[in-house]
Amino acid sequence: MLNKPITRRTLLGGLGAASALLFAGCASETADGRVQVEFVSYKQEAKALFDQIQADFNASHDDVVLKIDSPADAVTIMKTRFVRENYPDVIGIGGDADYASFVDSEILADVSDYEGMANVQEAYRNILESVTYVPMDGIYGVPYVANAAGMLYNVDMFEEKGWPIPQTWDELIELCETIKGEGEVAPFYLGYLDTWTILSPWNSITVNMVPQDLARQVNAGQAKFADWYGEPARRMRQMLQYSQTCLPGEPGPFAASYNDACTSFANGKSAMYPCGSFAVPQILTGNPDVNVGMFAMPSADDPADRIVVSGVDLQWCVSAACQHKEAVYEVLDYLADRENLQTYISDQRAIPCVEGDFELDSLFDGIQEFLDEGRVLDYLDHSYQSAMAVDAQLQTMLLDERDDDTAIAAFLEKFDTDWLRYNRAVIRKVQEYESQQ
Amino acid sequence: MAKDAFGAKVKERANWPVTVGLILVALVVIVFPLYMTVRIAVSKSMPTGLDIFSLPATWDLANFAEAMEKTQFFSSFMNSLIITVVAVVVSILVHSLAAYAIGRNMERRAFKLSYLFIIAGMYVPFAILMMPLVKQTAIMHLDNMVGVMLLYIVFYMPMNIMLYTGYLRNIPVALEEAARVDGASTWTTYWKVIFPIMKPMHATVAILTGLAVWNDVMTPLVIMGGSGVYTLPLAQMSFQTAFGTDYPLAFASYLLAMLPMIIFYIVAQKQIIGGVTNGAVK
Amino acid sequence: MASLTKSKVGSARMKTFYAILIPVLILFVAFNTFPLITGVFYSFTDSKGYGAFNIVGLLNYADLFTDTRVLNSYLFTFKVAVVATIFTNVVSLMLAIALSSKIRFKSALRGLFFVPKILGALVVGYVFSYLFTWIIPAMTGTESILASPDLAWIAIVVVLVWQGCAQTTIIYITGLSSVPEDVYEAGALDGATGWNKFRYITLPLIMPSITTNMVLVMKDMLMVFDQIVAMTSGGPSQSTESISFLIYNNGLAGGQFGFQCANAVIFFVLIAAISIIQTNFLSSREEQL
Repeated sequence: MLNKPITRRTLLGGLGAASALLFAGCASETADGRVQVEFVSYKQEAKALFDQIQADFNASHDDVVLKIDSPADAVTIMKTRFVRENYPDVIGIGGDADYASFVDSEILADVSDYEGMANVQEAYRNILESVTYVPMDGIYGVPYVANAAGMLYNVDMFEEKGWPIPQTWDELIELCETIKGEGEVAPFYLGYLDTWTILSPWNSITVNMVPQDLARQVNAGQAKFADWYGEPARRMRQMLQYSQTCLPGEPGPFAASYNDACTSFANGKSAMYPCGSFAVPQILTGNPDVNVGMFAMPSADDPADRIVVSGVDLQWCVSAACQHKEAVYEVLDYLADRENLQTYISDQRAIPCVEGDFELDSLFDGIQEFLDEGRVLDYLDHSYQSAMAVDAQLQTMLLDERDDDTAIAAFLEKFDTDWLRYNRAVIRKVQEYESQQ
Repeated sequence: MAKDAFGAKVKERANWPVTVGLILVALVVIVFPLYMTVRIAVSKSMPTGLDIFSLPATWDLANFAEAMEKTQFFSSFMNSLIITVVAVVVSILVHSLAAYAIGRNMERRAFKLSYLFIIAGMYVPFAILMMPLVKQTAIMHLDNMVGVMLLYIVFYMPMNIMLYTGYLRNIPVALEEAARVDGASTWTTYWKVIFPIMKPMHATVAILTGLAVWNDVMTPLVIMGGSGVYTLPLAQMSFQTAFGTDYPLAFASYLLAMLPMIIFYIVAQKQIIGGVTNGAVK
Repeated sequence: MASLTKSKVGSARMKTFYAILIPVLILFVAFNTFPLITGVFYSFTDSKGYGAFNIVGLLNYADLFTDTRVLNSYLFTFKVAVVATIFTNVVSLMLAIALSSKIRFKSALRGLFFVPKILGALVVGYVFSYLFTWIIPAMTGTESILASPDLAWIAIVVVLVWQGCAQTTIIYITGLSSVPEDVYEAGALDGATGWNKFRYITLPLIMPSITTNMVLVMKDMLMVFDQIVAMTSGGPSQSTESISFLIYNNGLAGGQFGFQCANAVIFFVLIAAISIIQTNFLSSREEQL
């Protein structure tokens, strides 16, 4: 067993070194001596906006050429490019498990020398730190915007019908019964064909019902998920009774895709949609006139304890291979410029991570107090390993036709077993780290 | 052919029940999915419920223009065409030549072993080569169309060499002898005598390799996915999310992706069916 | 015949042959054998595909046999491959017999039934996914089978059979056409009709075609990938993850490069073993008949 991790370079020796040299110029220079900086962003929905920013930047700067790509399935593309050791200068990703895994693989650069970091709100810097497996020296991402998840609802429909905003789980179920009883629209439209959408309600429900650092407790061997995840799982199953299946001719929750769900909610087929602010741009493409609001998921025992899920939706991570950090920082400054950031948050219904006087979209009116008072927590799934496919495990649990207790027990059992299996390397790291403390 | 007692041809009685049955099956199973593709592609909005069975009120061709623009149809089409043509032409030239060298020396150990070694490549699933190849092609600067073509030439080598060596067995060596007596080198003899004789097998190899390469998505996906260069199938996959719930747009794009092959099939149906049959039966 | 042409090792003729063989072998080794060996090497590491990694010995292999997700992908792939191979062959044989009988529009019908072969599996998958999600539920009033973990595999089988039948049918037609007419006439004199005619006359004579088709179709089906990407992405509940799909998905995008390399090694050994056994078994049966 080798103690020192092998890099491909040491492995392939000369060949690797030669190729590394060839690839070294990750920010290459153009013919006229301008530095070319390449961004790959995972926000495909913001493509038009970034195209505009790219054009504006290039028109106003003569030392740096900016290129921002926003491809579909961007994270897979990023990973494939990493496998090829063809690193973009900057990747734009969320503060999630992929980010943690990139930090762990030592492919991101420390950006604590970036001056603009001082303007980033402390809460979001802390969130990023909590995502990595063990506390890291240095900072590996510049938070740009955050999002929030809870329950999206059709504001005009609620006003017209005089439905109250539910504060507790019982009130929510009562409201669902009312809506279902009227039979005109569905309480929820669920697009669980795309498994990742299941994580949205799961996060918002669970965050109110489990200890904040549960994952780290489990990694340290001090807790089990089975002790905490049962009740949230039950509520997830309960929500299924109020999906679009109560309307005729609609595909079921597991036949409808994320896009189907966004479009159908936009067109008034359901009163609520358990998703995050990131879905709003997609919803608006289905119907630009729909008035979308958001309220906190009422799953806490005491309404006063309710928490909104909010995480870093987009952050800029500089690759360790990048050799033009100054040029990259120049671009980051430009992106964080008040006017550009305001354009972004208005267009994408996002929350800025940078301090300053920004105008939040009316979407966030219902959760403004939570944001102001700091009653927000990061997405739980940001600490789930992607290979463990928690979304698919939740889907299995929801599709399980046995009674609730059996289905949930099977889910919990598998969850703890798989967690240990997929986090083996992490757990070893955590335990080594703790024994050193 | 049935003949009557005097040896004259009798027109056979057509089996109408089977004919009608086959037509019905073909309509439901083959024609309907294709009809559905066209029907949705020319609609303004997605036909709901059973509207699919009625013709659209207006034929909307705007979807095609939009799909072409969105999926970079022309450049994707050209890339697919270039990759396929190069892979097919090089396969015919190189694989037939290699099969000639091997097939004429089967009694020699080195050649026999090389033959078995290459043929064994048929059992290697792409799945195991895929991930190492992503790294390897990148190091060699082949994470592009050239790399994809090169890989196809290697992937189809086992099958093609097997086909060619099989065919070569039926070509008498005496033909070469005659040319050699006239003083032609082995190289010249091959191109002048053997290569032209193997024409039927070239057609088979071209059809089999061409069909497989044209429709393949996995190789370009892992080798050049994310580079902004697409083949026709890769473009369909990459822009799938961009279509969203705009099904008419998506189907216009699918139809565009199918069309070149359908047209080619209409033109060269006989050769295609012949090639596929030949390749499988040999 | 061979001895006539057998040239001396050093002759110009042999030099030409070696000059052809060696570059071809190098090309083949570089892009087939070498990556195969690197794949085996990575299967002993915890590589994510990028960044640093450790050698972990046989840990990945030990994990493979306890990983239910991997196990399920094998079960799914084999279930689909076996069912699709059987259906493809049965349906194709029926079609081939019908298309070989005295029908009208023979060549047009044969041409039509071959169309699925020329279309790309990915796009066909998208079209069928729409059919299963929207059209069939609208016609029958049932839920889409793509949404059911118990039934989604059937949709995959349907698409595989739909495309697989094209080539298989043509091969059977060729096989049937080689059955001489007088064999049937002799059979007819002995009173062989219908099922008996098929069982005792047609079937033994087309056994070579069956061998070819079984091997060809089974191998294709075991590699199923495009249809999964287009129709289910492995869902619902990971019920339709084929081996190739899992290796691609978790190996490249899921950060399990080393682990999935181990999976691919096992898959390779299985494919090779199955192909060899199948060829031997079917060709021995062929001789018996």
